[in-house]
Amino acid sequence: MSTTPRLPSAVEGRDPDLRSVMAHQPGIQRDFSVLYGTFWSHGVLDHPTKEVARLRNARITDCGY
Amino acid sequence: MTTDLLAARPELADHRATMLDGIWRDSGVPPRLLELARLRVAALLHDEAGVAARTPAAVAAGLDADLVDALAAWPTDPRFTPTDRAALALAEQFVMDCHGITDAQVAELHDALGDQATVGFLIALALFDGFSRAATVLRGF
Repeated sequence: MSTTPRLPSAVEGRDPDLRSVMAHQPGIQRDFSVLYGTFWSHGVLDHPTKEVARLRNARITDCGY
Repeated sequence: MTTDLLAARPELADHRATMLDGIWRDSGVPPRLLELARLRVAALLHDEAGVAARTPAAVAAGLDADLVDALAAWPTDPRFTPTDRAALALAEQFVMDCHGITDAQVAELHDALGDQATVGFLIALALFDGFSRAATVLRGF
């Protein structure tokens, strides 16, 4: 896996990261934020369990973000 | 179907539909190319409902049924363009092991699509992959 950013930031003055690169698609980024926020703010699963699942997924995929 | 999978969570279904609509409408990725990638991801994950489905935007854009039938042969079938191949190679590697995606693979797609559409394509892959996996795990819904 490359450690060099493969796509430029869409935010002037900001290094490329997931959010600044996603900003090339501001509408989709907004829709994603709504969907992701709903995952966290709704449902019967408690937040610690959701966070454990998120962290486990990030570790398995070696996602440093 | 993923839609059925989310029937118990209508608020998630609505937001997911909104996001997917945005990808098909505004991402800058040709619907035909998006559909080929979606179908390939679904096939690799044995998401049978995803394989059987057709996205109306792609059909309206002239998606070729014969091309869909030949999708597994994309590396050698001459009907697939260099951009198709770049996108499908990335899609397959995304599903199997995203760490195996190379700088050259991303650069090839980026050269063809540009910044905006390349980002749109990657976000689309994340959705296709995630929801096909969920549908496969929960098969029977």
